[in-house]
Amino acid sequence: MKLFQLKEQMQEAGILASFAGSFSHGVLEELGTSVKKYLENAELGTSMMMDVFSVYIEAAQNVRNYAERQRARGAVSADLDSSIVAIAQVGAEFHIHSGNIVDASDLDELRAQLQRLAGLDKAGLKAAYKEQLRRERGLPVVGKGAGLGLIEMARRATKPLIYSLTPTADGKTFFSLCVVI
Amino acid sequence: MEALRIPATPATPEVNFDADAGLMTLNGESYPENAFEFFRPLLKWTEGFLQGGDQAVKVELALSYLNTSSIKSIMDFLDLLEAAHRRARPITVTWSYSQDNERALEMIEEFKEEVTLPFFILAVPV
Repeated sequence: MKLFQLKEQMQEAGILASFAGSFSHGVLEELGTSVKKYLENAELGTSMMMDVFSVYIEAAQNVRNYAERQRARGAVSADLDSSIVAIAQVGAEFHIHSGNIVDASDLDELRAQLQRLAGLDKAGLKAAYKEQLRRERGLPVVGKGAGLGLIEMARRATKPLIYSLTPTADGKTFFSLCVVI
Repeated sequence: MEALRIPATPATPEVNFDADAGLMTLNGESYPENAFEFFRPLLKWTEGFLQGGDQAVKVELALSYLNTSSIKSIMDFLDLLEAAHRRARPITVTWSYSQDNERALEMIEEFKEEVTLPFFILAVPV
């Protein structure tokens, strides 16, 4: 592996922090804390800091929870380790990236959810959020889709969610999501 | 009824539920790996506490950030308080936030929209 080139690429992309593979909640928390410190030092203002932190937490917990559910459904470990999360600073914006292999059986619902969110304005997103909150109340595990977390990210984003579904060499699908703050 | 006290961690709030004092406080941030597990004993305690008696209850919240799964659990918590309020139990909720944290205020206002019990929002100067 050409580590130096990888480092250069990350620097060019403005990546402040990232991790890939299987990660514990402790790692997620640790990275969150250091990102928060960085944002505090950059004196961005509380709202922007809260938005970046919140989207980061939802994105990271979504990929982690999905991996946990897939583990319970008997997925192979290579797929579970496909997760990646990155926070990048691009000019005056922050981009929170997250990605993972999504099971073929979950793709239709994911697509439908993303398309539905893309058509909503601020008020529509708030209504969708409240509706989903009512639906998920009292339930330990959310449905197959990302649910409330995805709506929360869309609400915090300053631009529509950017996503892609990329076929992998072994016939699977890699979902990548970018949230702009 | 025995008090429920849990110290804060980076991803979970400080809990202080005191039946004798009629005071329940939550203080900090909440984004644990499993919010449902964290909040379950809190909800159980609340249910038990509100079941009988007519003692006034003060709920003081200083939660500045909640991830979406914690939001669900806090909504469940408010549902229990709201149900007791409808049974004429005197309950007040006061939720304070740091004045410069506009996102916290928005979150608190959205919770307030969901209930009818006396709910006060308190801005704390920075």
